[in-house]
Amino acid sequence: MPATLTSKRHKVDDVADAIEFCFEQGWSDGLPVVPPTEKSVRAMLDAARLEPDHQVGFIEHRAVSITAEKVAVNAVMAGCKPQHMPLVVAAVKGIADPRWGYHGPGTSTGGAGVLMIVNGPVARELDVNAGDNLFGPGWRANLTIGRAVRLVMRNVCGSLPGLLDRGTLGHPGKLSYVIAENEAESPWTPLHVERGFRADQSTVTVMAAQGPHQFYNQLSNTAEGVLTTLADDMRISGGIMGQPNYAVILAGEHMLTISGSGFGKAEIRRFLFENTKTSHAHLKRTHRMSGAIQPADETLTRPLVESPDDFLIVAAGGRAGAFSAYVPGWGSKRSSQAVTVAVEK
Amino acid sequence: MELLDPTLEAQAQSIAWAPRPTALSGKRVALIENTKYNSDRLLERIGEILKTEYGASEARMWRKRNASVPAHEQIIEEVKKTSDVMVAGIGD
Repeated sequence: MPATLTSKRHKVDDVADAIEFCFEQGWSDGLPVVPPTEKSVRAMLDAARLEPDHQVGFIEHRAVSITAEKVAVNAVMAGCKPQHMPLVVAAVKGIADPRWGYHGPGTSTGGAGVLMIVNGPVARELDVNAGDNLFGPGWRANLTIGRAVRLVMRNVCGSLPGLLDRGTLGHPGKLSYVIAENEAESPWTPLHVERGFRADQSTVTVMAAQGPHQFYNQLSNTAEGVLTTLADDMRISGGIMGQPNYAVILAGEHMLTISGSGFGKAEIRRFLFENTKTSHAHLKRTHRMSGAIQPADETLTRPLVESPDDFLIVAAGGRAGAFSAYVPGWGSKRSSQAVTVAVEK
Repeated sequence: MELLDPTLEAQAQSIAWAPRPTALSGKRVALIENTKYNSDRLLERIGEILKTEYGASEARMWRKRNASVPAHEQIIEEVKKTSDVMVAGIGD
């Protein structure tokens, strides 16, 4: 006898009525949802082999226990397929990890999205896009998995925009912000292997993040050339005073140019670390750092991040076009760190 | 058709609140600073007002590790031992 689903039941006439009912209850992110029924919710739980009362995560600050049943209800509403559920569960574990620090990025005026970087076989199995139109529409897995996590934040954790989610601006990635690394074409060590997992494991890395910032360099045929442009764009971006994690997304053409110069991810991180420092004088002159400018401030520099390891380097994006992107993390690494979680099937 | 509710349905719990003092005269005040700009200055001023205008006996400040986390165990333990009332404020 399968365990009982304990969620409150609501009777509606038909599917159209159900969609409007979900809007009226305040359960939607602004787009229509798939009505969650006993059958569809059970299929989600079965796909992840989870009992409904299993605790996926606990948000200490809000004393909120996130059960598998509630994750499943929200995953159905987001439009996920049952096979997406293990990935949704792993991402929810990630944002409930104390290192991710839910209270900050979930609430802050800084308006963070949850950037999710998928690695390992699950990315191919679920057709998580790692190529053309990386951050854009067109792939069900990319759009629904991130949406499911945001609906859990809204409906289970109470992160309602304007109430407990106080983002001043927010950004479109708060609807869904899922990418995969292009491991098939990447010349580099995958992100999850760098972070201690085996290549044949599937993982999701969650990072509290601003929107993607695209940059352009069609002139350089060396790693130093491309990365100099990138570093110049990054230097005063996001939160130099907070020093958060940064994701750096290198697409096809830049990936080949950079690796052609013999640069691995470690060399990229070191180059970016050295070339994104800013003088205290400039930070004070531009009102990012408080205090009067002292003579020594002209040569005293502040790095963009605390350590080169705080840059997450990801090979992803279309093959054509001299574009790549960086994604500043939210706040500071002291308040929220990127967390990588294994996907369990 | 029947829909399942996606929102949190928490079990009811009761919390034992500390009794609220009726006056601040002679009370020891704990100020919990959240590390943001000017949070300390704001709380210092509040501490002064509580002493001069309301007769609190002292006001002592503790600093959280960062704005996004709760006051850590050491703060909680020390405040429990040394204070009667607490002001937790944010500066931003």
